[in-house]
Amino acid sequence: MKVPVGPQLAALSRRAVLRFARQPSSWAPATIFPLLLVAVNSSAMARVAEIPGVVPPGTTFLMFLLPAAIVQGVLFGGINGGSELATDIQGGFFDRLVASPVSRPAILLGRLAGAVAFGVFQAVFFQLILWPFGAQVVAGPAGRATLVVSAAVLSLGVGSVAAGLAARTGQPEAVQGFFPLLFILLFLSSAFFPTQLMSGWYQVVAEHNPITWMVDGMRTLVLEGWSWSAAIAAVGVPAAVCVVGMLFATRQLDRRLAVAS
Amino acid sequence: MDPNDRTAPIIAEGLVRAFGDVRAVDGVDLEVADGEVFGFLGPNGAGKSTTVRMLTTLLRPTGGRAVVAGHDVVREAAEVRFSIGVALQDASIDPLMTGRELLHLQATLYGIGRQAGRARSEELLDRVGLTDAADRLVGGYSGGMRRRLDLALALMHEPSILFLDEPTTGLDPMSRVNLWDEVRRLNSEHGTTVFLTTQYLEEADELAHRVAIIDQGRIVREGAPSTLKAQVGLPTLLVDVDPGNEEAAHTALATVGEFRPARAGRVAIGLFEGASGAAEAVRVLDAAGITIHHMELNTPTLDDVFAEATGRRLEGAADEDAG
Repeated sequence: MKVPVGPQLAALSRRAVLRFARQPSSWAPATIFPLLLVAVNSSAMARVAEIPGVVPPGTTFLMFLLPAAIVQGVLFGGINGGSELATDIQGGFFDRLVASPVSRPAILLGRLAGAVAFGVFQAVFFQLILWPFGAQVVAGPAGRATLVVSAAVLSLGVGSVAAGLAARTGQPEAVQGFFPLLFILLFLSSAFFPTQLMSGWYQVVAEHNPITWMVDGMRTLVLEGWSWSAAIAAVGVPAAVCVVGMLFATRQLDRRLAVAS
Repeated sequence: MDPNDRTAPIIAEGLVRAFGDVRAVDGVDLEVADGEVFGFLGPNGAGKSTTVRMLTTLLRPTGGRAVVAGHDVVREAAEVRFSIGVALQDASIDPLMTGRELLHLQATLYGIGRQAGRARSEELLDRVGLTDAADRLVGGYSGGMRRRLDLALALMHEPSILFLDEPTTGLDPMSRVNLWDEVRRLNSEHGTTVFLTTQYLEEADELAHRVAIIDQGRIVREGAPSTLKAQVGLPTLLVDVDPGNEEAAHTALATVGEFRPARAGRVAIGLFEGASGAAEAVRVLDAAGITIHHMELNTPTLDDVFAEATGRRLEGAADEDAG
């Protein structure tokens, strides 16, 4: 007696996306705050672009900040997506799923589908809304598509880490408490400021921060044009986060399910 | 009771679930017959929900074994899940989905095809009276509507065994009666075996063919409600008489029943012949010239059964009586 996994995963993914769309508190801050931060930084630090070596000639500091907006939004959304699993556990819907013949991986992946869909939405939305203000992508459609893929993979990665915490604790609050740590990691990277203008320990940390490697890859596509090495960095770093996150989430989910038959 | 005899839909033998040093369920033996409504009655924390969670594969037993629908709940959990419908405590329904969306989702989870799932959803919505509310978010449903939707979800794959964990807790009296009617209909028209946990005496009395009373993780009584109540003792006849006439009334009623303590102006006797002895009591009082101002017959309740078994009254019994 086996139920096909594909339709189960599709149905649970649809639910995750519908839930996301029906909770403005999940997507509104994750969409508005990155835009506000980009607006403030691009105005306050517009002259940074005049420093030689920060951005190529003919580009703007707004273009420099486009990857930061995407990554920041995805971090917000990924955490929210993962914490939805904790909401299911706390509300009892998780038990309903476990008592049904649903495939166990579908429980996790179906829950993360909302985060991935939102990550794709953000990557497209930020590119489109900042385009009229001069946020071009020099690498063209391939570069734009790579930014979307990077956002999707990062959403899955961050979402899976958050889902792992959700499976471990069963409390949405505990998962949301993880967000400040990610926010600090984001500020300790090149997301909002070029590393060559940093100094001391801050610069050392930023240069060794994987978020910097990913953002720099995305930024190369935005500011300089297509480069395979940049594309690999933009997708590879979140893919590594994804592998670690999925292993963590799977282990924690197995641990929670171990109490069931 | 032999767990290898797979004719009974639900069998538990020495079922145990320990959480650290605490044995929430401590050696439960039970057997539910095909087509039976089985009431599992007990106060909060007695072990009802823990037992249900083990029988529905949500919690692994730490001792003993259970067979549901002919399958071991640990070794053949997947097969058990196909055979049972489960409506858990507090109606764990996603408030951000509509009733129809949740039914479609449930159909997919059980491998029911798109067309068949949609047809079955409409049938179930109609059956539980939620067709008009089907496209509203569940967050806007009343408690009774949520319970009915929960029941519909549990019935999606037409299970032969239905587990209902405190299905009417928190419902208003009308919603409670409606749900009882639906459970009765399921049982009588479809032959569905129902395992029902409740802390409401009236609910167990109304619905269950047999009840098991659980306290501190152990079953303390099991049987048909009428049998259990009869075992507790005789029905009590209360008669209000003129103050000062109590002694004369006792003397007159000595052949009809045994004396029981009562307040001044009232006589209480346990009727030897059961409820049918009430008519004889009226005759002897009349023959003795004693005026009857008020009379009532109290039969033993399941709460009396619980009290007799545990020395305590079931929590919420007072509310039930009032309701």
